Amino acid sequence: MSAHNRGTELDLSWISKIQVNHPAVLRRAEQIQARRTVKKEWQAAWLLKAVTFIDLTTLSGDDTSSNIQRLCYKAKYPIREDLLKALNMHDKGITTAAVCVYPARVCDAVKALKAAGCNIPVASVATGFPAGQTHLKTRLEEIRLAVEDGATEIDVVINRSLVLTGQWEALYDEIRQFRKACGEAHLKTILATGELGSLTNVYKASMIAMMAGSDFIKTSTGKETVNATFPVAIVMLRAIRDFFWKTGNKIGFKPAGGIRSAKDSLAWLSLVKEELGDEWLKPELFRIGASTLLSDIERQIYHHVTGRYAAYHDLPMS
Amino acid sequence: MAATRAGPRAREIFTSLEYGPVPESHACALAWLDTQDRCLGHYVNGKWLKPEHRNSVPCQDPITGENLASCLQAQAEDVAAAVEAARMAFRSWSVHPGVVRAQHLTRLAKVIQKHQRLLWTLESLVTGRAVREVRDGDVQLAQQLLHYHAIQASTQEEALAGWEPMGVIGLILPPTFSFLEMMWRICPALAVGCTVVALVPPASPTPLLLAQLSGELGPFPGILNVISGSASLVPVLASQPGIQKVAFCGALEGGLRLLIQESVWDEAMRRLQERMGRLRSGRGLDGAVDMGARGAAACDLVQRFVREAQSQGAQVLQAGDVPSERPFYPPTLVSNLPPASPSKGSSSVPWPVVVASPFRTAKEALLVANGTPRGGSASVWSERLGQALELGYGLQVGTVWINAHGLRDPSVPTGGCKESGCSWHGGPDGLYEYLRPSGTPARLSCLSKNLNYDTFGLAVPSTLPAGPEIGPSPAPPYGLFIGGRFQAPGARSSKPIRDSSGNLHGYVAEGGAKDIRGAVEAAHQAFPGWAGQSPGARAALLWALAAALERRKSTLASRLERQGVELKAAEAEVELSARRLRAWGARVQAQGHTLQVAGLRGPVLRLREPLGVLAVVCPDEWPLLAFVSLLAPALAYGNTVVTVPSAACPLLALEVCQDMATLFPAGLANVVTGDRDHLTRCLALHQDVQAMWYFGSAQGSQFVEWASAGNLKPVWASRGCPRAWDQEAEGAGPELGLRAARTKALWLPMGD
Repeated sequence: MSAHNRGTELDLSWISKIQVNHPAVLRRAEQIQARRTVKKEWQAAWLLKAVTFIDLTTLSGDDTSSNIQRLCYKAKYPIREDLLKALNMHDKGITTAAVCVYPARVCDAVKALKAAGCNIPVASVATGFPAGQTHLKTRLEEIRLAVEDGATEIDVVINRSLVLTGQWEALYDEIRQFRKACGEAHLKTILATGELGSLTNVYKASMIAMMAGSDFIKTSTGKETVNATFPVAIVMLRAIRDFFWKTGNKIGFKPAGGIRSAKDSLAWLSLVKEELGDEWLKPELFRIGASTLLSDIERQIYHHVTGRYAAYHDLPMS
Repeated sequence: MAATRAGPRAREIFTSLEYGPVPESHACALAWLDTQDRCLGHYVNGKWLKPEHRNSVPCQDPITGENLASCLQAQAEDVAAAVEAARMAFRSWSVHPGVVRAQHLTRLAKVIQKHQRLLWTLESLVTGRAVREVRDGDVQLAQQLLHYHAIQASTQEEALAGWEPMGVIGLILPPTFSFLEMMWRICPALAVGCTVVALVPPASPTPLLLAQLSGELGPFPGILNVISGSASLVPVLASQPGIQKVAFCGALEGGLRLLIQESVWDEAMRRLQERMGRLRSGRGLDGAVDMGARGAAACDLVQRFVREAQSQGAQVLQAGDVPSERPFYPPTLVSNLPPASPSKGSSSVPWPVVVASPFRTAKEALLVANGTPRGGSASVWSERLGQALELGYGLQVGTVWINAHGLRDPSVPTGGCKESGCSWHGGPDGLYEYLRPSGTPARLSCLSKNLNYDTFGLAVPSTLPAGPEIGPSPAPPYGLFIGGRFQAPGARSSKPIRDSSGNLHGYVAEGGAKDIRGAVEAAHQAFPGWAGQSPGARAALLWALAAALERRKSTLASRLERQGVELKAAEAEVELSARRLRAWGARVQAQGHTLQVAGLRGPVLRLREPLGVLAVVCPDEWPLLAFVSLLAPALAYGNTVVTVPSAACPLLALEVCQDMATLFPAGLANVVTGDRDHLTRCLALHQDVQAMWYFGSAQGSQFVEWASAGNLKPVWASRGCPRAWDQEAEGAGPELGLRAARTKALWLPMGD
């Protein structure tokens, strides 16, 4: 993965003049889904690419070492070998971008991936996921422990109350401290956009998170009522572009929550392609947080290769 | 496992992540053309009409140049046959209850829904437009239009009582158009009971398909007839007996003008360029392109424009993913075009060009935006509500979108002003385009060939002194009432006015071209102040004038008596005149309303705005009542007026002017006496008069209509038909209110 975002000074004058035009964002979101599709070989190739962006995720109360092990195996072999061979893609080393688990399961994941003999990164959610309503001290400690256990990417949630009350400096300081606690690990900041109230707040929170040194900004935890939506994504992507234009730093983007179908994943790829360009379409700068998406992609690939729709037992579960 | 279907390219695409072709199958469009043996005729009275011995024009794929079909060119007799079919159909269609028409329109909407793939692939195939645009936009809106107008038809008896359908409508479509433009016009026409003959340019299969879908529904085959032919048939269609109205449609909107505030110029241009770079152009039938191509002619046009702009030192930026071969042309951003350059002066920017220019303040932007002869639509992008509304209200266009662009809905009237035309489509306004007050005589389509446009009203017959004035004294002040005072006429000569027994009643000033110029100027100066007044303030002034008329009742009545009116009737006329002023003052209080549109969060405001300077040529009869009946709605809606009063007895209007001199701001209403034809000529040929009402001879009406085409000002001409000014319907009916203002739709999408 690329070098860390070192962040910038907090620039409140930039934050204060932000205005997001809500109707215009909605219209763009509507258009982009209707205007770009890919078919046939293009679809198959794009879907395989989408696999390489997936943070294969399990965030359940009943996670144990056995299903984490299965998840890691699936991350390493996301698509059936014979299907990849048919597409002449078996030597491309296609795996998911990472696995993403709760802090207490990081050890299991690291061990399972080591056993499978691969170096797929382990991402851990942290900082009182998903609500973030715990003391700062414990939130920071949570990051440190996950990093100690071997997580190389930390998905933190921000404190929504700071956004809703406009305490931008405090938000900046908190994320700065997360950044520091991460050490060498990558910092992915979850904005929980479904709970920020307005698109203008989404833009401001995105900008603060990038100024404070996040390597990725991520839409949602998957636990809010509203998850990754196109309008929100457009606002975040524009913020990423503005930050890049101003500082030269490329920050990654991770939509998460509610992305279940292969068709959805294609729309997300074309959204990033349209808004930021091809240079963002690599795992270092684009991730999709998902748990069930992979099996739908595999079914579509199966159909592309064989001309038949797969039964559920035709493909290995994750 | 079944046999492998994967091709060899996946590896490559996996790395490049490029877009691939997404071809939309147009097999059904070709199959439909095959049903006609690839030879399209005309669709008249529910049947295909393929007369022999006609020239044919090839219908080509604008991108490949491939011949898709040949289209027969109509001749005059084909046009006559279509009009005859429409006339016959009108007899039954117009007398059926509205609900029957509503059912028919609903059935047509359903047929379109069932065959939409055929419709969108055919349209995209022959026009080269992006199929996505046609599929997701036009076809859906076409169905909405039919449903909306079906509802209007079903309530016609109550909602539009007092109006009747005009008759057969001739519709003329330009060389490049979307079939949707036809739908905007035929839906209201059919809904209110009119029937239509559409003359489409050669090689336009989609309107023929629509006519076929409508015709095959059964009971009313002749309500929609489509003939294809060259522009030379336009006068033939317009002069067919039975055609009651001819509706034109301008060419498809081309490029755009973009005004960007200087303080955000660099930032906005950078973002614009970035976005342009991602546009994809390609074959219209590709489901993943943003823009198609519009054929070789459009390509030549834009090439010329861009070359011209470059030679004048403009900056030209072209970007996007565009096939390099003709007729594809990349999206083009032109900036730094010198303000006085010829290509800037020509108001139309060709597709796909955007001409960007900077401005300093919102006021300046408004001046620049209003400084073109076009007045169709505009969008305003601003996060500041006050500023956006200031611009929205100030723009002289038919539609303003605030923070949006290109939205349309059947319930929102779409139209324009200035050279973008004065007719309305959609909403209630669109219905009135095809209605006339019940009992209005039908239009005679034969134009007088004897009228010489060059000489009509050119010379003023010279007048000589006709003896001393004897009449009720004091006489009104002598002169033309311009800019709030009585002025001597430029010609320094006078015209004698005789009473009903042939005796001299008085002399009035003989106005001429210079006086008209002065009056129009005065009216323009008064306009911003008057239009900015609240309806309440305007009403107060009209009410004050009404009171003044009542005070002057005895003088006015005695002058009317000299014109042969009985005293009782004369007094009644004065009283009725005062009532008219009060009634219009009260009526405009409740103007405009808010519309709620499907799919849009936020309101659409339907505003009624004044036209500007309105020229009114009053009828000879009812010298007081007609003058006041026309003046009252015109002023109430915020227009300023230049009036030519009754030629037979202008003295009554001049009496009223005495009160206007003391009550009204200068220039609000101007009254110019003199030779009626001459003054009519001067007003109709004046490019800065925004609308004209003419009540006089058929010849004069014909001249006014001809001359007003110069700036496409809306004209209301009586064509020699007398009006019962003392009757409520004709003297103060809703028709006057409709004619006295124009509609503007202001879209206000909301969201935070």
